This record gives sequence, structure tokens and C-alpha cells, in this order.
Amino acid sequence: MNPMNQTTLHPYSRSVSIIGVGCTPFMYTLDNPETAGLTEGELFGYAAYKAMEDAGIGPKDVDYFFHGQATPFNGSNYITPNMQVSEWFGMRGKGSIHHSEACCTGYLALEQAVNAVASGKYNVVLSGCVEFGDAIADPDKPAHFRKKFDDQLFQESLKWIYDRAYTRAMMCGPNLHQDDGAAWYQAEYGLTDEEMDETLISIGLNSRKSASKNPLALARKTYEELAKENGYDDVMEYMKSFFNPKMTGYLRASGLELKCDGAAALIVCPTEMASQFTDKKPIEVLGIGNATREANQPHVELLGTREAVRQVYELTGVKPEEIDLLMANDFFITSQLIAAEETGYLPRGEGWKYFIEGRTSYDGDKPINTNGGRCSFGHAHAASGLADIYEAVMQMRGACGERNVKKLPKTSMIRGFGGAQNLAAIILRTKE
Amino acid sequence: MGVKLEKIVKTYYDKLAEGKIMARKCKDCGAVEWPPLLGCNTCGSTEMEWIEISGKATLVQFVMPSPITRKPEMDFIKPYALGVVDLPEGPSVNVMVRGIDRKNKDIVREQMPVACHATIVEKEDYHTVIFDLDVVPEGKKRERKPKAE
Repeated sequence: MNPMNQTTLHPYSRSVSIIGVGCTPFMYTLDNPETAGLTEGELFGYAAYKAMEDAGIGPKDVDYFFHGQATPFNGSNYITPNMQVSEWFGMRGKGSIHHSEACCTGYLALEQAVNAVASGKYNVVLSGCVEFGDAIADPDKPAHFRKKFDDQLFQESLKWIYDRAYTRAMMCGPNLHQDDGAAWYQAEYGLTDEEMDETLISIGLNSRKSASKNPLALARKTYEELAKENGYDDVMEYMKSFFNPKMTGYLRASGLELKCDGAAALIVCPTEMASQFTDKKPIEVLGIGNATREANQPHVELLGTREAVRQVYELTGVKPEEIDLLMANDFFITSQLIAAEETGYLPRGEGWKYFIEGRTSYDGDKPINTNGGRCSFGHAHAASGLADIYEAVMQMRGACGERNVKKLPKTSMIRGFGGAQNLAAIILRTKE
Repeated sequence: MGVKLEKIVKTYYDKLAEGKIMARKCKDCGAVEWPPLLGCNTCGSTEMEWIEISGKATLVQFVMPSPITRKPEMDFIKPYALGVVDLPEGPSVNVMVRGIDRKNKDIVREQMPVACHATIVEKEDYHTVIFDLDVVPEGKKRERKPKAE
């Protein structure tokens, strides 16, 4: 790649660690009388207080907060979103800022917080995201009035992600990306149509298995159970049936995001200060690589991931074989395959076999998206990235109970993706 | 010298309406930006000049439209696929490619990479660019099962 299109990262001015995490269940709030009418302040506030509680701090200890939301105007009918929620977790009068990078927002929420602490300006920073991906605001009524964000409206809103100068007018960029990764992978490595289909189905099976053990996940019934309920003994036969139709050239329903409502938050501080607040081992942020590519350009996910990963490996000196857990934003489930091979977590051209062999579930030797990922855990767009970081931190602490991965992860890679498209590659390591 | 404040997007669309597909070529390194941009993403220069591109291209990847990606506002260019083209001037771009349907897609795939060319099409309020296969292969006829007696 042209060096002009690359970035060299420099070490942080001081080490920064995650000391607290919080996450709501990912849910369809309107579908349950107990959650119908929940608001942005309540979701964000809950995640923020949980993160503070986890860190052993209170609002008085937080110097500054970052707020992320993908579509505040559409989903919540407001602007200045940070102000809208700040008083719901004790931040009255404190400084804050909002950022928005579509489905990558939650990953870059960590980037913002770490930079703010590494610079020396703040010691304790909260970063949170909230999204109502299923229950959007009913304009001009109080915040608990919400209505379903139906698929037609959602598809219509997706165009806002794309460049308005050329890409929307040229019609391809916004519509190619669902299948771009699979088409590229199949051509590159010569998989048959059946092998590609079984790979993408298997990614979904493994992720759903992980989600089935996760109380915060949206879809917790395994596909094996669903197959039996519908009269199939063979789950693969069920997954290839009309119960799981192809929605794109490659992706079946099991490979598409479940957009929903949720929030997540975390607390970071200088690593050397962590023991002042908590006995838990700090999770150090070793580095974060970033890239942005516009959707008129070919293979944005592939090439953007490649550059973000290159940056963070170059900065940290971490080797792919040191990664114990991979989290990858997978609103198209192919992303697990692309991210796993671009990070070196799975060998190039061979990764698809690992999924088919079931090795990427929480109990496999190469765990990926142990919370269930976007197609089972759910996708509350901005909040998903922080939910992935929440999951990585909990796994690294060994706090996930029966679904904790077999070998306690010491080093995790988190690959963010979203917004036509931002890419992020985050490396976390438990500080002993 | 240096960056100039100018209407690049409007100029591009105005020229499309006149039947010309314009790009911007870097005077310093020769790289071409299509669609046209303010500066050069290859060397960083802002010394750009307008050029008309040939419209020739090579299709290197395509996928077929699907229930999610098929939009009514795209019906006017049917049959189409979603493709990646390489232009001889340098750029690689995601574009709509006309002339590929369910019947001939496998033949096109066997022939990849295949030659195509840019075509200006009119939308409601503006013109845009799609690509047409230079040669549209005749598709395999689907075998219809005889109706049961």
C-alpha cells in the first residue's frame, strides 16, 4: 500500500487501562412490557453506573465522559446527545463530547477515552454508547413514547451512511458491501458455493451456541433447538432450508444483524492509578489502529482491517499467535472470517475450516465473538463495540462462568467496523 | 498555486449532462481520481487538472443483486450486477454493471476479467455513470419442467 495512505502510531504518553465495564441486555424493548418505554438516559445511565460500580468509583471520580450514538436525530429525535443523558448518571456540570461513527462508534469510544487519559488531561474518563436500533423516538412526545424502527425505514436510513457527492448516485457502494467479503474470499481461495454457504452457516451456529449461554444476548435459542422444533434432526439441513432463507447472494438470515436496543460503557484511568480504585487486574489498552475507507472504493472492510491491524501490530510488537480471543463486529457474519484472517488469528485461506469444525465457539480453541456477535447477541449499533469490549474484559477476568473460554485470555484483539467504513484494531492485555 | 476553492461535484455532474465523464489528474504524480476529488490521494498534491476519461474498464469482481440490495429505483438499468472495475487510467471503483442476469452470470464469471465500458444514464434530476459489458454473452436457457398431465 502507498505509504501516504498509512499511519505510523506512536506510544501513548502514559499507559491507560480499562478498570470498569457495564452493559445492558441487548433487547427489543418494545416487545416486553417490562422494558417498553425505556429511554436513552435510563439505558446509558444504567450502563454508566454499572461501569462505575465495577471500577469501584462514583460520579464524583469521573473527570469527563464521551458519548456515542450512531443516529441520534433519527433514533432519538435530538442533537447534542451527550447533554441529553449527562444528568442521568451524576455528570451535571462536567465536560463531555459526542461522537458518531455508525457501527464503529463503540470501538472508537475506547479510542476517545484512552487518548484523553494518555494525553494527561484527565485521569478518570467514562465512555458510553446508547442506541435504540429497534425502538425509535416518537417525535414531539416525551422520551418513553417510542415506535418500531421497521425494516423499510431502516433500509431507507442506511443511505445516510454513504457519500452524497458520488457514491449514492452511483448506486453500487451501498449495496455491494453485504457480499463483498464473501465474494472476494471465495474467489481468492477457490471455495465451492456449498463450502462458502456451509462456512457462513457454521459461523452463525458457533455464535448462537455462545449466545445461548449469555444472559445479555438477544437470541439465546440454539439453532439445534430451532431445527428440532421445526422437525429437522440435521441442523445443517435446517439452516439450508426455507427457515433460513438467503437474503443476499451469500448471506442467509442467520448471517444478518439483529438490530435492537442497548447501551454499554467503560471506565479508563492511568494504569498506575488503577489499584487506587479496584482490586481487579487492570486491562491495559496496548494500542488501537485505525483506518477509514469510502464505500465507492473496492474491499473497504478487507483493506481497512489490513491497515488498522498493521498499525497496531507495528506499535505493540504483539504477534498474531499471542491473541487469545478475537471479537469482530459482524453485522454481516462474513466479517468474522475476514477479521480472523486479516488479524492472523486464523491462517489465511484456512480459516473457513475452523468455523465448520466448530472451533470458534466459546468452548473452542479459537474463540471468536463469545458474546454471540451481532447476529445473535444483537446489534444496538453504536453500543455494540463497547459491548464487545465488555465481553473481552469479562472473559479476560474469567468472569463469564460456564461460557468462559477454556484458556483464560491474556491478550485480546477487537476489530471494529462500521459506517462505510471505519475500521479499528484494538489490542487489550491483562496487566499482571 | 495551492488549493483552489472550486465546484468539483457540480462540474462533474454538469459535464455528465453534456456527455463527458471527467476525472482529475494529479500534475505532480500523474494519479487519477475518478470520481474527481479536490486533491490527490496518492501523493497529497492539490495541483490537479481536469481530464476526460476513456470510459474503458475491466470488470474484476461482481455479485448479483439480492432481496436486500435490489431497489426499485435501480430497475431502470436492469439487468445488472454489483461490480468492481479497474480503469486504465488507474482508479478501481465499485460500480453498477449492466448486462449480467441470472441466465448468463456463470458464463461471465468463467470469462472474468471481462471488458466493459462506461455509460451515462439519466436519473430524475441528474446523470450518473454505470458500466455495460462490451459483449453480453447469451445466457443458458432454463430448462422448464413439463407440466404434469
